[in-house]
Amino acid sequence: MKRKRIVSNAVKNGLLALYALFALFPLFWMVLISFKSDAQMFNTTFIFNPTLENYDAVLLRTDYFKYFIDSIIVSVIAVLISVLAGVPAAYALARYDFKKKENLAFTILSFRFAPEILVVLPLFMIYQKIGLYDTYFGLIWVYQLITMPLLIWVIRGYFEDISVEIEHAAQVDGYSWWQVFLKRLLPLIKPGLVSASLLAFIFAWNNFTFPLMLSGTYVETITVASLKYIASDTVHYGQMAVAATVSALPAVIFALLIQKHLVRGLSFGAVKG
Amino acid sequence: MSKLIIKNLYKRYENKGKKKTQPNDFAVNNLSLECEDGEFIGILGPSGCGKTTTLRMIAGLEDITAGDIFIGDQRINDLHPKDRNIGLAFEDYALYPPLTVYDNIAFNLKAKGVPADQIKERVMEIAPLLKVEDLLDKMPISLSGGQKQRVNIARAIVRRPGLLLLDEPLSHLDGKMRQALRTEIKRLHNEIRCTTVYVTHDQLEAMSLADRIAIMNLGVLQQFGTPMEVYDDPANEFVAGFIGEPPMNLLKTTIIHHDGDYYFTFENSDLRILAPRRYYDLLSDGMQVKMGVRPTDIFVGGPDSKGTPVKVAVFEDLCSERRIGVRVGDELVMLITEDDTRYRQGEMIKLEVNGEKTHLFDLQTGNRIRPNK
Amino acid sequence: MAKIEVVNVTKRFGKFTALKNINLEIKDNEFFVLFGPAGAGKTTLLNNVAGIQIPEEGLIRFNGEIMNRIDPAHRNVAMVFENYALYPNLTVYENIASPLRSPLYKKDNATINREVHRVAELLRIDHLLERLPSQISNGQKQRVAIGRALVRDPNVFLMDEPLAHLDAKLRHYMRSELKEMQSSFNTTCIYVTHDFLEAVSLGDRIAIINEGSIIQVGTREEVYYTPCNEFVAALVGEPEINLVDGRLFVDNGKYYVETLEKGYLLPLPESSGIVRKLVDSEVTEYHIGFRPNNIKYTFEKKDGLIRGTVYGFESIGNKAVLIAKVGEKYIRMIAPNDLKVKLDQAVYVELPIHKAIFFDAQTTNFIGTSDEAAIYRLVQEQLSKGVQ
Repeated sequence: MKRKRIVSNAVKNGLLALYALFALFPLFWMVLISFKSDAQMFNTTFIFNPTLENYDAVLLRTDYFKYFIDSIIVSVIAVLISVLAGVPAAYALARYDFKKKENLAFTILSFRFAPEILVVLPLFMIYQKIGLYDTYFGLIWVYQLITMPLLIWVIRGYFEDISVEIEHAAQVDGYSWWQVFLKRLLPLIKPGLVSASLLAFIFAWNNFTFPLMLSGTYVETITVASLKYIASDTVHYGQMAVAATVSALPAVIFALLIQKHLVRGLSFGAVKG
Repeated sequence: MSKLIIKNLYKRYENKGKKKTQPNDFAVNNLSLECEDGEFIGILGPSGCGKTTTLRMIAGLEDITAGDIFIGDQRINDLHPKDRNIGLAFEDYALYPPLTVYDNIAFNLKAKGVPADQIKERVMEIAPLLKVEDLLDKMPISLSGGQKQRVNIARAIVRRPGLLLLDEPLSHLDGKMRQALRTEIKRLHNEIRCTTVYVTHDQLEAMSLADRIAIMNLGVLQQFGTPMEVYDDPANEFVAGFIGEPPMNLLKTTIIHHDGDYYFTFENSDLRILAPRRYYDLLSDGMQVKMGVRPTDIFVGGPDSKGTPVKVAVFEDLCSERRIGVRVGDELVMLITEDDTRYRQGEMIKLEVNGEKTHLFDLQTGNRIRPNK
Repeated sequence: MAKIEVVNVTKRFGKFTALKNINLEIKDNEFFVLFGPAGAGKTTLLNNVAGIQIPEEGLIRFNGEIMNRIDPAHRNVAMVFENYALYPNLTVYENIASPLRSPLYKKDNATINREVHRVAELLRIDHLLERLPSQISNGQKQRVAIGRALVRDPNVFLMDEPLAHLDAKLRHYMRSELKEMQSSFNTTCIYVTHDFLEAVSLGDRIAIINEGSIIQVGTREEVYYTPCNEFVAALVGEPEINLVDGRLFVDNGKYYVETLEKGYLLPLPESSGIVRKLVDSEVTEYHIGFRPNNIKYTFEKKDGLIRGTVYGFESIGNKAVLIAKVGEKYIRMIAPNDLKVKLDQAVYVELPIHKAIFFDAQTTNFIGTSDEAAIYRLVQEQLSKGVQ
């Protein structure tokens, strides 16, 4: 009995390790080559003379930080707007009965179904016409397609799990509707709100198609900017790797900070009590 | 029709996640039961007591960790459920929705290849017993909860099982339906006399239906006896508190010795009860035990009663009976009266306790302390 | 403390009318029970009083003041919900303190501390104050929910099936405890239940409600001894009242009812005034109600008793119900727990015609009762009310 369990555990752990290797290897490779000089790029694998010249080139001698800040501005504001608009929307979808409610909810979700490339061309034309092309506002606006559906669907589930009597109880206790919302409901949806916002942020941060097509000179996000290291004559893999590594940092840091809440927040309902 | 014998039955679930297994994690712990041929046995206990696990082991739906189960002379531990000749009806009705009531009842017989005319004969024989003869052409979806459960039970008994297992068959039904079907199940058993094991958490169901009741708690059999035995002669504190509505009043008491007599006294209370003589050998001054007395064995004394004066804490007029609650220390002690007097909260009454009907339990183990005979 | 009036209230949900023209007057400091089967509209009525829902028609008044347009927070009501509705992220202490921390009823910390402890002691949960709702049992949750309502001084205390989710044993125990606490509530209470025992035990008055309408309002004695129709008679009393068909029969100036079998006559008691009532009603076909605890039985043949067979015998705790089959009719009677009977053996039943309730067989409405003791008690009750 005991031996069986040890064997099965070993097999399980072995498989998990194999998968971890498979998943993490590209990241590892990326970090690795960010320390390689162009000369050693193709003739070394693991043993080489590490150099910071790529970091120096990218971080100090290009506008990399401007792109980084652009990305942060666009993604953070996009998520904030989604939270401000999405939480009330989720509440309405969870609590009120109105005509075509489910259709509306599905429509919101379906924004995530359509490939971005499908909408990006018409958007390009429209943005050109109405002057939103290459503006912060334009990008933040279009990012709502990515961030809003996710937030609404996660938070709606949380609201639905809170029994409506809890709201009634708080109202009877002497709280106005806004106070009920802020003091009683918000703490209960917090895990979902945090994890959904984080995920929305990562999706927005990683987006490539929209900034590629809808911005370019005045506003430029880091994903698009990474392309710059493909020069006309040669591809600077080392510099690209640096750009990619640094751009991955915020998401990694966030994820590590709230790792505990991430899976639970997305998979569990809100309250058991 | 056969005897059911359960010998030293154990069930232990592998608890995943928990590294160390505690000694107490047996879902069923050394259970031995013997049911006579044709007997109606109730397995009664709170949720998580192991009653359903036991039933599922008898049915073959659950592995047996240790011990034996016999039906008649045959050890059935390793038999496939279908070969055990058992009829089973669960809490949920689980009828096949696309089939009529008739086909639902006949389903198992058809699967066994019984000829159609015999099937018809047997369905027609069973249907009136469960009062479903008018429903045979209907679809399950059009039946009420009570009707579905009747069909469900008909389906279980139509193949003439040696043993009928019923797992909380009434718990989904509302009050009136439940009472009606309870009566019918008793009558059905009286008619077909099939050995039956009935699992329930409702003491009234067990008391009403069963010839003998096995009361379980935390996987361990507490007592196995007729309804009146478990009511009048509980084996331990758990049984005493579980059987009866309102339940037996259980109070911690200190024995005092006074003028050659022993009395039960209670912390923060003036109440004093003369201990029955049959206990005198066992009692000593200052001894602490649990005392139990049924609400029907406490009375309100008349004006010249020698009972202890106490304050009425609760008076409940329930129309056909009246209940009085008094505080003895922190505990609320209930008594039932059928006389017509109404009392007010705070009023003084004289409390008389029929000392002869008191039971004593060990403070630590909860086991009954029985007088020497 | 307040007098609550519900005037011509109608509440609709889309096409479904949940409350149909309800009128109630609940006195100051009264413990008022709304009693009815599931789906009768009890909770809806409670929500309308609380202000959680607003009626389409009619008025809700507290002490004469119209409340329809006042939101729940400003009605100063306290409510206990069926599912407790505790805040899962707050401790028991903070749950109970919640009303006293709200902007409307704000108190200083010392007062909050004192009040929370007072209530917790009353409810015997003072040892649980630091726990979260997920760490306490259902019975304890129920007490916390009551505590949250008791901690302040509301106009009215609303309780929506507070014991419904507890197991049977705990429910009975909590009912007795609630009854014990009743005197310390010191405010008007409206209590919703579908449980007959809770209704009669707790209620000063009981409103019986079905399908959105009030069927009868009265004290426990009134609804038990003089139910206004068969529905109420069946709802109030456990085991359920026996209803048998009967016909008025006059012979030599003496009045009988013929029931159960042709030629089985029961002489109507002259003194109770029931003969008068029956004759005046001009109805001759009745449903006659006999309470199970009034029916006597014997297993020996005896003249004047009607023969039946034992159909069932079931324990109901400290007593048992004996079901006799008489003709096509089933008669339920109370019997001792330890009675020894065999199914289908003969039993002789004595129907207590001096404790019968008569209903019109057509309309099922109440005509009269022959129970003198009940009438006496009701008259006394009326008189004592007059004195007050």
